Amino acid sequence: MSSRSNTPAFWFIAPSVIALLAIGLAPILFAVFNSLHEYNLARPAAGKPFVGLENYLTVLTDGTFWSSLGRTVTFLVTAVPIQIAIGLWAALLLHRPGLSFMRSVARVSLVIPLATTYAVVGLIGRLIFNREFGVANDMLGWVGIPVTDWLGDPTMAFVALIIMDVWQWTPFCTLILLAGLSMVPKETEEAARLETPSALRILRHVQMPFLLPGLTAILILRTADVLKEFDKIFTMTRGGPGAATELISVYIQRVGFRVFDLGLASAQAVVLLVFCIVLSRLYIRYVYKEAEL
Amino acid sequence: MRAYATALAAAAAMTVSGQALAWSLEEAAAPYEGTSIKAVFLDRPGYKAAAELVPEFEERTGIDVTWETLPYENSRERQVLNFVGGGDIDVALVDVVWIGEFAANGWLTPLSEFYDDPALADPDLALDDFFPVLLDSFGTWDGVVYGLPFDNYSGLMFYNQCMLEEAGFDGPPETWTELMTEYGPALTDADANQYAFALQSRRGETQSADSFMRVLWPFGGSLLDEDFRSNLTSEESLRGLQFRQDLMEYMPPGIVDYDHAEAVDALAQGQVAMITEWSAFYPTLADADQSTIVDCLGVTTEPEGPAGLKPALGGFSLAVNSGSSTDEQIASWLFIQWITGQEMARDFVEAGGVSGRMGVYEDEALLEAYSYIPPMVQSWEADTAVASFRPRFPEWPELSEIIALDGTRMMLGEVDVEEGAADLGDKVEEVLDDAGYYDGDKPLLK
Amino acid sequence: MSAEAAATRRRIAPVGHFLGLAVVVLTSIFPFYWMVTTSLKTRADAVARDPVWFFSPTLANYREALFDSGVAHALLNSTIVASCTTLLAVVLGTPAAYALARYEFRGKRELWFWYITNRMVSPIVLAVPVFLIANSLDLIDTHLVLILIYLTFTLPIVVWICTDQFRGVPVALDEAARLEGARAWTIFWRINLPLAMPGVVVSAILSFIFAWNDLLYALVLTRTQARTAPLAATSFMSGYELPWGVIMATGTMIVLPMVIFAMLVSGRLVQGLTMGAVK
Repeated sequence: MSSRSNTPAFWFIAPSVIALLAIGLAPILFAVFNSLHEYNLARPAAGKPFVGLENYLTVLTDGTFWSSLGRTVTFLVTAVPIQIAIGLWAALLLHRPGLSFMRSVARVSLVIPLATTYAVVGLIGRLIFNREFGVANDMLGWVGIPVTDWLGDPTMAFVALIIMDVWQWTPFCTLILLAGLSMVPKETEEAARLETPSALRILRHVQMPFLLPGLTAILILRTADVLKEFDKIFTMTRGGPGAATELISVYIQRVGFRVFDLGLASAQAVVLLVFCIVLSRLYIRYVYKEAEL
Repeated sequence: MRAYATALAAAAAMTVSGQALAWSLEEAAAPYEGTSIKAVFLDRPGYKAAAELVPEFEERTGIDVTWETLPYENSRERQVLNFVGGGDIDVALVDVVWIGEFAANGWLTPLSEFYDDPALADPDLALDDFFPVLLDSFGTWDGVVYGLPFDNYSGLMFYNQCMLEEAGFDGPPETWTELMTEYGPALTDADANQYAFALQSRRGETQSADSFMRVLWPFGGSLLDEDFRSNLTSEESLRGLQFRQDLMEYMPPGIVDYDHAEAVDALAQGQVAMITEWSAFYPTLADADQSTIVDCLGVTTEPEGPAGLKPALGGFSLAVNSGSSTDEQIASWLFIQWITGQEMARDFVEAGGVSGRMGVYEDEALLEAYSYIPPMVQSWEADTAVASFRPRFPEWPELSEIIALDGTRMMLGEVDVEEGAADLGDKVEEVLDDAGYYDGDKPLLK
Repeated sequence: MSAEAAATRRRIAPVGHFLGLAVVVLTSIFPFYWMVTTSLKTRADAVARDPVWFFSPTLANYREALFDSGVAHALLNSTIVASCTTLLAVVLGTPAAYALARYEFRGKRELWFWYITNRMVSPIVLAVPVFLIANSLDLIDTHLVLILIYLTFTLPIVVWICTDQFRGVPVALDEAARLEGARAWTIFWRINLPLAMPGVVVSAILSFIFAWNDLLYALVLTRTQARTAPLAATSFMSGYELPWGVIMATGTMIVLPMVIFAMLVSGRLVQGLTMGAVK
């Protein structure tokens, strides 16, 4: 890089930094402030007294908070491996030579789930998995599976939500892994094919090193996205039945905007933010490891 | 001649006093012509009825009435945010269980400000013509009237007479026990996807009000005792909750995901033989476009429990947002007075609404045309109605959230009834303790 | 493996490949297909106990959604909000991206990572305080508040993708221009920005899609005037009646334009979703 002045850089960057400080950082500081106060919107007479760390203490001892976080983790460790497995299978199909027209059709069709508005994904899920007139039960009936109560049963509702998540996010994995596969030098791959007919061995010894960065990215980004998961659940199950599908964001929204306990909701949000920051540190550390900056 | 003169004088006097007494909506509204007010409506029959009638009010008064239709589950949030943040809602919709919260926070204007003003009060207002239980529970908090009953419900039992007859019953069960022990087994055929009963139990107010509270009262139980301590672990309350658990055998699977729509639909499509639902759903069930059982539809009071007939009580009053401008408040009052008035009651009922006026139900023709009216009126009568079916204090929404979650978990068998009731009782007392009811300074109002 | 078996394998392989790809295509399309067909069904067909596969389509649901349920207004709101936030993100983000690509300065790495952190933060963290701030500033139910809050994710997207794009523009062009006395802004505006246009367009489209798809912020920050389309779609769930045809018609109108946009940039969709970590 040249030795010229860096002053212009400041002017180029300042507006975006100021904007992000104002809309991204200031609210977070305000949330921290609120989290130290008792603040219920539906109790204006009670005012907004300072309560120190009381809200955080409530978060730590709140079984519902931790069980919704636990549920979020369960969701994550169930959905993501499925997405990676199916995503890898699809990526290998798309990478394989031949049938080039069919492959481009498949590639384009993968865009549909990714572009579908999350809230609408939930609405579609609620329609498809309806016990009485949903098409899921109808299709399962063709292969003799009895009528399943998808959204009324806690386990099945969780499963249905995972199915919709798998539908929406597997293409993301596919496209990332496909990008990794295309990084494998053609000659190396062809040489390997001549040596062994086993696709599995090629995958393990030749392609895997190129897939690893993508896999790391998938793991971290999907974790962040599951912590964000709200829209789809809100429209599909609203966290029910019972609390079967109440993931962390749904729970915080309920405390904040249904119980209107904004002090507690802020404390919960701050705790969640800590998780988010840890995640992004990991992302930066493992994914951007070699970024030339 | 003399007699004639006297008569003439008397007539003149009458005209003069008549002018002084004659109150008309048009005149009362004249200063507020052009004012625009906004109400909150739900997607339920009573609001469609009101929407049909609104143009008449607009024409007579020049006041412009708009409304926003909200899902019930969002309507409290939306209104609280509106009160706190200063939104555009003038006519508040107050569920029986919100009156305490809305009134105690000063969000509603006491209606006496309007009905004590002769220029604004319709001489035919007749507050005493409302069913006392409705005015008291939906509209009154701590002795002050804030809202007039508008969308009024009693829990009723709707049933499919044809299914009952086919199973060998002449009529609906009279008691909950009978419903479970006799009607349950006879009307349930899980393989054919047929069930005796459906109790809407979706998490939310549906779970806490329609499902949880509904099984407490008839069995002699209640949520709170006189000192506001949990009464859930009393023998009676537990009996009610256990009954609900046992009755699930005769309900469709996934009943914890049934909201009003699903329960009404299950009856309308012939999947279940009986439901206990709000009277307001009668028009839906009696509408051939939405119901396949119009000719088989029967309606009666809810079944009795060991404690007698203790039907669910619910409904909404219309109230005036104290944050609106004076003109908007007065225009809102005139609208509320008009739509809930004696004069409109019949039109309102015929358009699909449920009036809270006693007078209108003395009309035999109406009673005959709408079979839901007699059992509903019976349920509202003074010796039957449970005015505090759900506590109406400001803490209810928070309790409702807790009951909705733990109640569904109980139904799902994730917690056992006795343990769940004890646990729930602790959580309820914790909220009420925080609210200061146990310190002795806060009046025990519900 | 015998030679014969290997030969058989080679012969059936394309069939397996074809079937596999067919499964990928069908499953990707099916829920979308079901949404679109339901939106064209009558009320009775939409909730028929045995799902209906063939039916005579009707546009009644679209009419009802657009004209009776205010979805047209909501779509307009979504368009306004998504366009403005995208425009703002491009205006603020491209100079920053250019600076990150061209200049060396202290704290550059940290700055870059801070942008990335914004990608990870769950919206519910911001929703509570932003609601309170917007409420006290009287910004609830305005387009402005959504336009601004959406910058938290649109701006990082623009910065990431465009930084990458600017790196691809030869530095020699900058040097040449500088020798002719061009100022920094001119070099950026006249030379680099036009050359980086493909990246700018991609990042703009992705920003638009993400802003369009949001529900949570719209739920918390809007009421009626600024209600966006996804919120309109959920408002049908009143718990009393679910007009599935109308809901799916609304869903189709929300999703279809996004699918088309996404297809236009399908090659770089992943880059947008991973913030440039994977190309």
